[in-house]
Amino acid sequence: MSKNNKPVLLLIPLVCIAFFSLNVYAGHLEPFRSVPVPKHNPQTPEKIELGKKLFFDRRLSGDGTMSCATCHNPEQAFTDGQDISLSYPTTMNWRNAPTLINTAFQKFLFHDGRVKSLEDQALFPLMSAFEMNQNLDFVEEELRVVPEYVEAFKKVFGGDVTRERIAMAIAAFERTLVSVNSPLDKHLKGDKSALSEDAKKGLEIFEGKGKCADCHYGVNLSDNRFHALNVPENPALLNEPRVIATMRFTAKVYHYEDYKNLREDPGRYLITKNKKDRKAFRTPSLREISKTAPYMHNGVFKTLDEVLDFLNKGGGPGNKALKPLGLTGEEKRYLKAFLTEAPAGEDIAIKYPEVP
Amino acid sequence: MKEYDGRLRLVIKHYPYKYRDFSHMASEAAMAAREQGKFWEMHRTLLKKSPKLDRNSLIKYAGELGLDLKRFTDSVDGRKYSKLIERDKKLAVDLDVYNTPTFFINGRKVIGNRPYEYLKMIIEEELKGVKK
Repeated sequence: MSKNNKPVLLLIPLVCIAFFSLNVYAGHLEPFRSVPVPKHNPQTPEKIELGKKLFFDRRLSGDGTMSCATCHNPEQAFTDGQDISLSYPTTMNWRNAPTLINTAFQKFLFHDGRVKSLEDQALFPLMSAFEMNQNLDFVEEELRVVPEYVEAFKKVFGGDVTRERIAMAIAAFERTLVSVNSPLDKHLKGDKSALSEDAKKGLEIFEGKGKCADCHYGVNLSDNRFHALNVPENPALLNEPRVIATMRFTAKVYHYEDYKNLREDPGRYLITKNKKDRKAFRTPSLREISKTAPYMHNGVFKTLDEVLDFLNKGGGPGNKALKPLGLTGEEKRYLKAFLTEAPAGEDIAIKYPEVP
Repeated sequence: MKEYDGRLRLVIKHYPYKYRDFSHMASEAAMAAREQGKFWEMHRTLLKKSPKLDRNSLIKYAGELGLDLKRFTDSVDGRKYSKLIERDKKLAVDLDVYNTPTFFINGRKVIGNRPYEYLKMIIEEELKGVKK
């Protein structure tokens, strides 16, 4: 599983017009509200607790060395802090691990948006050869021999351990990982002293000259869409055979015709096979953005400054999504102050569970 | 280590991966090389050549490093450092370590192969807290 943190995004005017007509909320920032919960998987304290145990349980990986928390570490804002996510021993990942904070608000999961719910997402890394490399039939049996799990599944779901219920419990836990009471939330609710003067100026740029809010809006500061900014490939990975193997393997699984010669991440195209989606990635949330470096789907930018410079110059060569912004050094500084300060909510306190 | 000469001590613990045939033997090879003053040279070679770490390959690498091959081979074949390696493995389990590499920098756990700048940042933070 991987992450794509693009704090600021600009669309060309034509796209914006079409976009605004489709979504009345485009450009409007909204304070935190309760997370959406699917009807078929209501939140209960017991389910959340079960999901938390599974989240920290290394049984979910093939060799018992990794849990979900390995790459989504609570002490690193539910990322692993690496440019490219940690991987199954002897393999290498190819994308950045996204934070899990506020994933409940996302309409698409993964950088390429291959699934639409946390329930559908949860089992992917378990099965992935370069992530947890576990067999789902096997993990069901591994959990069925643990009396505490058998009892917990019966209590929570009224039945047996199944892969679907494993995913449902993990998803329920993930829905508790939310960014709340940030200065931005307070500001949007009317507390005009919640932001520093620099952050207020940054907000003006965010919604104005920087055009960030064209794509980063709503509660989660994301349009839940995909944009091809032509983010550069991570030079550290270009000639790494294990990364190339992972990339081609993933492309093969998604029936990418020329997977054997693939040398760069095709992005959303991998899923849709639509030319406009080549090198397009999901607009990330900006909530807690200062804690989730490095940035972009391949972690190529180590700092927010690097991201802002990239966007300010109009993105990568040949992209049609961005135009140069012409932000001055001072304006970038205000924008950074806003991004660092405003969307940073209360720390999420995790009481580590006792894994049975 | 050069940059922090005298202010940093590096302790290596073995944690051969349980699902690799040659990983224990590779740890033995590193220790056998250490006997002849070439631990780091062998360590780097093992990382570079992995997963080609069968017995013949290890002996070939030892030859390339100019080691006394009989002494090296006797040590590896005799599993001379098996007890030490098993002790390290137990320590890892006791510390709830399951990934390699895992660093403990003044007690701060850092999982995964990190860029130098990342480790440097933590080292600098920890050094600030050290009483002179």
